[in-house]
Amino acid sequence: MISSIKKTSLAEIKARLEQHPIEAVIVGTGISGAIIANELTKAGKNVLLLEAGPGTNLTLQGYNEFLSNFYGATSKDNQAPYPVNPNASMPRSTNLRKLQPGETDSATYMVQSGPYVTDTNYTRVYGGTTMHWEAKTPRMLPEDFKSQTLFGQGVDWPLGYDDLEEFYQVAEREIGVSADVEDQSYLGVTFPKDYVYPMKGLPLSYLDQQVAKRLDGTEVELYGQRYPLKIRPFPQGRNGIPNDKYDRGQGYVPVGAVSNHQIEIGERCQGNTNCVPICPVQARYHSGKTLAKAFQRATGSIHLLVQAVASRVVIDPVSGRVTALEVKVYKDPKSSEHETVTIAATIFVLASNAIETPRLMLASGLRSSSGLIGRNLMDHSYLLSWATMPEICGTMRGTSVTGGIIDLRGGAFRRHQAAFSVDIHNDGWGWAVGSPYSDLTTLVDQYNLFGPELRRGLINRISSQLLLAFMIEVMPSESNRVTVDPQYTDQLGNMRPVVSFTVPEYTMRGAAYAREFARTVFARVGAADQSRYDPGDYGYVAYNGQGYAIRGGNHLAGTHVMGNDRNRSVVDTNQRSWDHPNLYLVGGGSMPTIGTANVTLTLAALCYRSARSMLDQLQ
Amino acid sequence: MSQLEPFLAFSAEVTAFPIVELQGTGQAESYLQTVEDIVGTQRLDRLLVLYQSLPLATREDIRQARADRLRRDIFGSDELGPIARNIIKLWYSGTWYELPSAWTEAYGPAPQDVTFVVAPSSYVEGLLWTAIGAHPAGAKAPGYASWQWPPHIPPFAGDPAATPR
Amino acid sequence: MDSSDITTLEELKSYLYSAMQLEHATLPPYLVALYSIKPGTNLDATQIIRVVAVEEMLHLTFAANLLNAIGGEPDLTVPGFVPNFPTYLPDGEQEFLVHLAPFSRQTIENFLQIERPSLAPSGVNKLVARREHGPFLHLGTHPRQTTMRYYSIGDFYKAIEDGLVYLEGEAQKQGKTIFTGDAGRQITSQYYYSGGGHLHPVTDLATAVTAIRLVIEQGEGQTATIYDSQKELAHYYRFDQLIHGRYYRSGDAIEHPTGEPVSVDWDAAYPVKTDVKLADIPAGSELHQAAAAFNQAYARFLAEITEAYNGKPHKLMEAVAHMFEFRNAMTVLIRNPLPGSNGLYAGPTFEVSPEAAGAPQAGAESLEVVA
Repeated sequence: MISSIKKTSLAEIKARLEQHPIEAVIVGTGISGAIIANELTKAGKNVLLLEAGPGTNLTLQGYNEFLSNFYGATSKDNQAPYPVNPNASMPRSTNLRKLQPGETDSATYMVQSGPYVTDTNYTRVYGGTTMHWEAKTPRMLPEDFKSQTLFGQGVDWPLGYDDLEEFYQVAEREIGVSADVEDQSYLGVTFPKDYVYPMKGLPLSYLDQQVAKRLDGTEVELYGQRYPLKIRPFPQGRNGIPNDKYDRGQGYVPVGAVSNHQIEIGERCQGNTNCVPICPVQARYHSGKTLAKAFQRATGSIHLLVQAVASRVVIDPVSGRVTALEVKVYKDPKSSEHETVTIAATIFVLASNAIETPRLMLASGLRSSSGLIGRNLMDHSYLLSWATMPEICGTMRGTSVTGGIIDLRGGAFRRHQAAFSVDIHNDGWGWAVGSPYSDLTTLVDQYNLFGPELRRGLINRISSQLLLAFMIEVMPSESNRVTVDPQYTDQLGNMRPVVSFTVPEYTMRGAAYAREFARTVFARVGAADQSRYDPGDYGYVAYNGQGYAIRGGNHLAGTHVMGNDRNRSVVDTNQRSWDHPNLYLVGGGSMPTIGTANVTLTLAALCYRSARSMLDQLQ
Repeated sequence: MSQLEPFLAFSAEVTAFPIVELQGTGQAESYLQTVEDIVGTQRLDRLLVLYQSLPLATREDIRQARADRLRRDIFGSDELGPIARNIIKLWYSGTWYELPSAWTEAYGPAPQDVTFVVAPSSYVEGLLWTAIGAHPAGAKAPGYASWQWPPHIPPFAGDPAATPR
Repeated sequence: MDSSDITTLEELKSYLYSAMQLEHATLPPYLVALYSIKPGTNLDATQIIRVVAVEEMLHLTFAANLLNAIGGEPDLTVPGFVPNFPTYLPDGEQEFLVHLAPFSRQTIENFLQIERPSLAPSGVNKLVARREHGPFLHLGTHPRQTTMRYYSIGDFYKAIEDGLVYLEGEAQKQGKTIFTGDAGRQITSQYYYSGGGHLHPVTDLATAVTAIRLVIEQGEGQTATIYDSQKELAHYYRFDQLIHGRYYRSGDAIEHPTGEPVSVDWDAAYPVKTDVKLADIPAGSELHQAAAAFNQAYARFLAEITEAYNGKPHKLMEAVAHMFEFRNAMTVLIRNPLPGSNGLYAGPTFEVSPEAAGAPQAGAESLEVVA
């Protein structure tokens, strides 16, 4: 798709500000900002988008530079494609270290104040974290919205599954989800009669199938209830085979790559096994696809200002209304040279993410009358278990994940321990121990193999790798939080986020069971368990005499939680601030709980819902 | 005289990939250059001369003798072993791995000796993925739905797992 | 429509077979040029050639859909289907040779010739006497009167369109239709799609004419506009951007692109020997084996495509996966110096014979499953 997205210069923005009042300023070009920008421009509203990154990936050439950065990077972590930018820094897993009790590590952009060190991260470039998301798009379970009532855990949502269902459909259309309803109808998840996903489900990998043939139909018992197990495909936000039954037989036209040039690449997923950190062919959704639509439709009423870091929300002390946003516009990522501009608008939408949005609020001195800004930080905790399959399974092929086990996403056991969803990783032990590079160095440097023995050794060792990633639910806790501290600032003088986090015991009970569950799976499929958790690992957590390396999930949520009670929530169900009637805080931060669903689909659905409210306000 | 020919011959034997496939990566010259730049032309020459002096493997017993010599004289050498291992890793992953500190202390300094990917295309051409019938993450994609089928692992000469025909 | 060149269904089938042959024949030259580009260079050119090649696959599939729609049986394994390069294409009064050659200015100019929009000017006979050119295949030849060829590819396709209209008109007069093919043999977007055009089934005259016009517009366009009805740039203008060093943008005049600059490094390509043959490669060498193995893999690919076009559309997915595999085999050949050629490089020869397709030989086991 050709996009007519152009960066607008600061001078031009200033000139326009005098003539055309801006109706909505949106901070961030990730999926939340993109959806809201698209919805508002559909209604003819005048929108200004602020992006902290330089927006080089607006062109295909710039996008390809990210890919080339990834190819050339020694560490292939989530941020490998994205250049270091001291004016809009990002957390990065490669820079972390274990903390001593009471210690704070401020060496990385996101200050870790412990005790748990999280490697969770997000991307501050055009397209936000959808540039590196894996694009797994399960819906939350109906029971997830009522976890306090049903299980005595966390809080209930002010909305239910039925309130969100229609918005889930809209989000699935926008993201272009590939899945089959029959695979996704479980644990109370229902779809309207005749609903089909925009595209058909991606097939399970050969590795998934090898696990499934031994595991499917077996059961586990938990607190007196039996749970049957089955390897199922996940819904995925990447192009598959369009379903001709979609939209009452209208079918679905996938969106390929977007670029400023007449270049149609980006067909269906080609199996690059690189959803994270960058899809080389843009088969996987990123929010640039949504923004391309907005810019194509509404040239003239939507503008993009890049290298623009929102630095302060200015409030009228009497009415509580936001009067302006102070924005630092820098000239070059390498230099702190910048100009501070003040931008007025009718409504303000903060759509950075559940770390950066509360960071900006707190840096502006706005703690919310509930005191909950920055609190209840949530992210899924991941526990990895890895093993060698009894035969060659062709690991390292497919999308990052095609299938897994969702049978323990819900159930009565949630009264006692956290639920989890299990991914079978098609990229082997990469996440756990750095395969396949670590396999190469081990066989060459330690096992002293060369020639045909080496080549065969690599085949046997890598192609039979099985890694189960347990995505474990984390309930809200006020002490898990983002704060700011004037002693920790970035190159532009903006305060950096400070994260304090303890993995809740409820989650750790789930983790301990996950480890047990992994052993059961390995026993049933005849795989040799290779998991080990190093006490020196930055994410090491001891629980009940055992230790576990817990990883972050980049599923940030909870820091400006929504609710019906202004004393116990930051925003209402339209994600509008209780304190500041023309301010919306949107995205994962509004989610009261996250269950075992990757957060993007749900937060996208919430943004569609909120866009209606914004339009009402702008009438 | 270019060292490319003996470099390729040595590389083919220690990686178990034929020269045509090594050339087919398009990386041969840049890998040779990388090794020469970091450990010095003379040291690489010594390795290659030693390699060329190994007994030619025409019969099974000589093949074994050759492999033993390769192991003892080159891979077993404190000086040449780490270089030989790094050449294998270069071809397989496109990455030059920093030499062990013991090597640097004894034979260094080698100022350019840090871990790095030789070029973006070197990563793409890593033989690791060819060997296992897969593709480097983010490149040489195998096509939609191909992952549902068993892997095509290419056969190779001398595969210890190959059934004799 | 009385002037239709095509007066029987059998003739229409042979025209459509020729159309498939024509669409396919552009693939090997485009692929050789594409993969001869040195990695990391010529990003714009890589994208442009790649997209055109993908669309040629789309056009090939449209031709198969058309043939299937009228009850034909597409067969890409017929001896002689793949040209022995170079091959001739018509260009007005002249014919010209299409080569397997590396990326270069000359090669892109060759591609421009392939895609040049032209129709016989009114008053000029659209059938031209073929000149004798030895053993090479002449694409665009009149299927029946083999001494004649079309003035241009556009004229050739126009003849097909006229033939479709004429024959269907005649059939309708008798209450019949020529579109009697099994709809299950149609390849749809479900099995194949790209950014460049929607693949729709051909079931009647309307869908048939849409298909043929899309092929004409995107490819060897006959229209005088730069953009086709789907707002896409026709192939000629895509390649033209490389010569002019600029992208077209809407509103541009022909030959005067004013978009962003296209950077081209004509030297950053492996100097593949033009129209390299197996016989140019030392017999018995690893390189020879690899080149022969590629030809076998290509022959198998054509056999798989044929199967897909003959009632097993889902096979197309597997065939495409194999296409990705032989892409790697092609790059290996292209990056190998050709011994005794003064610095030239080898490449895929596309010498596809029935023998090569059938008998499993040394390289064939590269597709063996070890699991």
